[in-house]
Formats: sequence, C-alpha cells, structure tokens
Amino acid sequence: MTQDVEMKDNQTPSQSVVSAPTSTLQNLKEIVALIDTGSYTKEVRRIARAVRLTVGLRRQLTGSVISSFLDFALVPGSEAHTRLSSFVPKSDEHDMEVDTASSTSQAPPPKHLPAELEIYCYFIVLLFLIDQKKYSEAKACSSASIARLKNVNRRTVDVIASKLYFYYSLSYELTNDLAEIRSTLLALHHSATLRHDELGQETLLNLLLRNYLHYNLYDQAEKLRSKAPRFEAHSNQQFCRYLFYLGKIRTIQLEYTDAKESLLQAARKAPVASLGFRIQCNKWAIIVRLLLGEIPERSIFTQKGMEKPLKPYFELTNAVRIGDLELFGNVQEKFAETFAKDRTHNLIVRLRHNVIRTGLRNISISYSRISLQDVAQKLRLNSANPVADAESIVAKAIRDGAIDATIDHKNGCMVSKETGDIYSTNEPQTAFNSRIAFCLNMHNEAVKALRFPPNTHKEKESDEKRREKKQQEEELAKYMAEEDDDDF
Amino acid sequence: MDPQLTEVSQQFERFKAAFARKDYNTCSDLLSQLKVLLTKFTSLPPLFENSPNAAKELTIARDIYEHAVVLSVKTEDQDAFERDFFQLKPYYVDARNRIPSSPQENLILGLNLLRLLVQNRIAEFHTELELLSSATLEDPCIKHAVELEQSFMEGAYNRVLSARQTAPDATYVYFMDLLAKTIRDEIAGCSEKAYDYVSISDARQMLLFSSDQELLTYVEEEHPEWEVKEGFVVFQKAKETAPCKEIPSLQLINQTLSYARELERIV
Repeated sequence: MTQDVEMKDNQTPSQSVVSAPTSTLQNLKEIVALIDTGSYTKEVRRIARAVRLTVGLRRQLTGSVISSFLDFALVPGSEAHTRLSSFVPKSDEHDMEVDTASSTSQAPPPKHLPAELEIYCYFIVLLFLIDQKKYSEAKACSSASIARLKNVNRRTVDVIASKLYFYYSLSYELTNDLAEIRSTLLALHHSATLRHDELGQETLLNLLLRNYLHYNLYDQAEKLRSKAPRFEAHSNQQFCRYLFYLGKIRTIQLEYTDAKESLLQAARKAPVASLGFRIQCNKWAIIVRLLLGEIPERSIFTQKGMEKPLKPYFELTNAVRIGDLELFGNVQEKFAETFAKDRTHNLIVRLRHNVIRTGLRNISISYSRISLQDVAQKLRLNSANPVADAESIVAKAIRDGAIDATIDHKNGCMVSKETGDIYSTNEPQTAFNSRIAFCLNMHNEAVKALRFPPNTHKEKESDEKRREKKQQEEELAKYMAEEDDDDF
Repeated sequence: MDPQLTEVSQQFERFKAAFARKDYNTCSDLLSQLKVLLTKFTSLPPLFENSPNAAKELTIARDIYEHAVVLSVKTEDQDAFERDFFQLKPYYVDARNRIPSSPQENLILGLNLLRLLVQNRIAEFHTELELLSSATLEDPCIKHAVELEQSFMEGAYNRVLSARQTAPDATYVYFMDLLAKTIRDEIAGCSEKAYDYVSISDARQMLLFSSDQELLTYVEEEHPEWEVKEGFVVFQKAKETAPCKEIPSLQLINQTLSYARELERIV
C-alpha cells in the first residue's frame, strides 16, 4: 500500500512525446483550445482527451512553463490567477522570457473564461507541485480547488474534477494526513451522487475505501461499499482499484473464493504500465489462493519485473506446498519485515493451518496406515500432548473433507481409505460445466465491451439509404395499388 | 469543578462500591442513570467538542463504559456486552489523541475477541484483529485470544481447553466455559466422521464428561442417530460420496440447452 499505485493512461499520442520541450507551451495551448470547444459544445469526450494529453506532457512541465501558461489561460490579476501563481516558483528567467514573448505575440487571451479552463489550471498546477514533491503546497492547492469545485455544476467539469479528487487524496496521503479529509470526501461523494456524476462517485468511492483501508478500518469500508450505489464502470483504472479494495476486504472477512476472483480480475485488467499495482494485486492473490488450499503456478512468480518483489511469497508458497511447518516458520521469520510492510502478516499467520493440512494430505496419500505418533512427528507438532493433538487435528481434517480416512482409536492410528474412481462421480461433469460457463461468459463480456462511435450507423444511412427506402416505399405503394385494381 | 462532572463522579463512586460488593442489580440501575447523565457531555463522541473539561469527561466516560463491559461479563449478558463494547470503542480509536490510553484497554479488547470466537463470528474476529498494532498483538491478553483462534482452526482442541488455566484474567473464565461447550459440539461433529466406533469410556474422555450417564444423556439429546451397544458408541455413517448410480438427466438437459443457446448467439 505504501507504494504509489498510480495508474496512468498509457495511450499517450506519439506527437506529444517527440515534441521538444520548448513546444510544451504550444501543446498546452492546443489543449486549451480543446477544452474551449469541449466546454462550448458540451462534449465530455474532448475534455477527457485534454486530460489524457496533459498526462503525457507531465514530465515536461517546469515552473516557467506553468507560470507563462497561467498568464495565457487566466486573466492576469484575477483571483484565480493570483492564487495559482503563488504556488509556482519564479525561476529559469531565460526560458520564461522566450515563452512569454511567444505567448503574447501568438494568441490573445480568451475573452470569456470557461469554468473548465479554470479548473484545468488548478489541475495542471497540482500535477506540477506533486511532481516537484512540494506536498504541503499541493495540499493547499488541492484544497482550494476542491472549494472552488463545490460551486461548479457542469458535466464537462466532471472529468477534470475526478482527477482533482484523486490528487487531492494523494497529496494528503503523501503527508500522511488521510484521516483529515475523510469527511470532505464523504461530502463530495454525497454531492457527486446528487449530481449524477458517476465518474466522480466512482473515483470518490475508491478514495474513501483507500482512506479506510489505510487505517485498517475494514468494517467501515465494507459498510460503505455495500451501501454505495453501483453502476457500470466508467473508467477502467477506477474499476481495477475498486476490485482490488473489494478483494482485500473480502480476504480479511474470510470470503476467500470471492476475494480471489476480485483480486485476479484486478490484476488482469490493470494496464501493463502500472507495475506497482499489479504486484500488490498478485501478492494478495497468492495469499488468498494459498488460504484456499490452491498452489499458485510458478509462472506467476516469474512475470516480468515481479520476480524480486514476489520472492518472499514464492518461498512462502514453497513451504505451504511441501507442508513443512518448520520451513514455514523460517520463511515467516526471514521475511517478517516485508510482510509487516505489506500488511499481510496477519494473513500469513492464518496460513499455518493450511501448512498442516497439506502435510497431512501428503501423509494420507503416502501411507495406508500410520500411527498418530508418527503423524505428530512428521507434522512437527511441538506441544505437550502431541498424540492427542494429532488425533483431533486429523479428525477435523476428515470432517472438513481434506483427507479421506478413518481413525482407529484403540490402536492409535490413522487408516487411509482407498481413493475412489473420480470418473464414477459427477465431479468431472461439474468441472467441465464451470469451464464452459467461464468461456461463454468471457465471450459475452467481450462483446459487451466492444465500443462503437455514436451515430456512425445513422449518418451513413442518411443519404443513400433514405433514397433507397423512398424508392422501396413507392414501389410498394404502386404494387398495392395494382393489387387493389386486380381485386376489383 | 463542573457540577455535572461532580454528579457523574459521585454516582460512579457509588457504582464502584456496589460493584465491589457484587451487588449487580444495583450496579445495572446505577449504570443506566450514569449513561443518561453522560449524554449531557458535549465533549464525548461523536461531537468531540473542545470544552475545558474534555479530557476529564472523556476519561470518566471511558472508565464507566469499561466497567459496563466487565459488568456484562459478570451478569453473563452477551448482548449487553456487545452494546457496551461498541459504545466504548470510539474512546479507544477516535479519542486516542485526546486522552492517555487506558490500562484496561488490552484486557477489554481481548475479551471482545474471545466473545467473537465464542459466537463463531470469525470474520469479525479478523476484522478487529487488523485494527491492532503489532505491539498490541504481543500483549498477553490479546495473544491468548489469537492463539485460541489458531488452535481452534487447526483442530487442536486440547490446547484450547488447557488454555483455560492460563487465562490472563478472571473475567476470561466465563467465555472460556462457553468455549468449552462449543468445543464439545465440534469434537462430536468430528468424531462422527472420523471414527467408525469408540468405546464408551474413550468417548466420555473425548467429549469431556465426568460420568457415563452424562454422556448417554448428551447422546440422546444431541445425537439420537448414534447407536450405543455393547460398550461402544457406533457412529452411523452416511456415505455421501458414493459413486453416482443414476444420471442427473434434468440438470444435463438444462446445461446442454444453455450451451446451445449461447453458441447460437456466437455463430
């Protein structure tokens, strides 16, 4: 969790990547034009594109570029301008001269100032401050932007607003003050719901969940999650985050099957570029699968860039697979620091029980009859009364269906049953069924996820088809008339 | 000193006196009066107003609720325990920065963990556990409950039972006794599956009964399907995983039809 699991859109258009730093301002101006048209025609799509382009420019932002951009976009001397300029340091005099010169000569500042543009300026300054690691300024700037946002109610702002919410929370997280903004976030979520701002709701819900989970408040997080309105996801990134948080909550509450599903889905849906996020997802997914009694495949641990961070979990898996309590204890001790940092320590404590189970299963497969004393020895149960412990542990494993055996109490031994022919049961059929259902479901989801540009279908129809239709109608009318004549 | 605060502290002294006398009826009466009085303090959760007496008010309110929790254990009222504990919790979590932490805190948290264990609310047990810091987890009271849960999950029931002797506080014994009953049911459930038969004396030992008679009544009441004959308890085992003889035709038809429908959509 401490690692920043920020996900960037990775579809940065190539033109902005190759452009030289001097033209950054030029690019920003293009974005402004985009926002202008977006705000005028009320097209959310254009604003979203503007935000995406900005993220691509992020690395090229410097103090001078920002301040000259502010001069260009906002009316100098206005309230927003003075407030925002105070956050940006005046440096790089040379660059600034060149840029301001070009800005004044090229385009006059726009007469009217759309709300989108003002909010966008907050956004870009905030990005700059966070990249410069000026967190306290970022906090002040984001709080100001949130205060400003409260008075703006336009659907076209929502896209930028949701980004602002995210960086608002991030700047507080970086200074470790997340608890402070919880009530503000709740209020924002409340108003986003009232305004039917679904993207905002989605973002804010995730931020709130993150906020709660940061302090391990799983109970509150689950209560909020189960009561907040749900709808189809608007942004893939937000949906991934939601799945991850959901998976974590379910893991803590012992709903491992559901947790596994959410975590694996989050790991698969996450963009390739967001390595940190995928590592986190995989760590949790590995533990959940171990808790379920599954052994994750080796290929999970050898994914590109993940080998090193997943090493402790690899050794853990190994210990569980062999069912060796001593090895498990060693791994637990060896990587105690990592597990504490990942906050998975409590989950790993739960695994002890699975280690015993696997060990027991191995014993039950290899021996048809074994004394309980030997079982205790093989499992390395270090307790006052190992035989009695072994007996009750074996009894519980039998009841839970982990092993198929009976206990002979008088002789103090465990007798394994012959493994029956699995193909004489319904088992294979159910397994096939679940796989087929999975494939069909995947296909359906894929079809649903296909996106078509709106109205293209209708536009094509307009000219040719209309003529064609008219012709058909005329023919039909003629035909009907003829028929009528025939009747008479 | 604030008159309201004085009134509360006097009342609380009376409560403590009654508590020491083990006069629990008087205690409950005084407690409900105290709770009403506490509603007049604005510095308590959820308002947290910064009044001059805030720290004192918070401390005494926390003290009162801590006593309320212990009282509910003494009167063996689990619902009251849950209520009082939830009223107390904000003082531990949200008021952490306002008043020094209570010496009773770990004891009460451990009790709550134990209660969740007894009521078999394992999900909540783990949710509570996540809230505790690693230092708190080392505390004997908390550790006791955590180890109990582990042994319970593993199936090492002997360890759970012997933990009764090592209970860190007298108040824990009540829950430990309840736990013993839960464990007996667990053991009974396990033995049913694990053994074909056991002798009566062994069964008595396993199920922690002091006499054969108790065992027989237990079998009669809880597990009438067990058979007692010739000095043995015979467990009737229904073989659930027997190879299936008949084909589940209706289910198969349904599945095949749904495949056909889905495939039609694709092609």
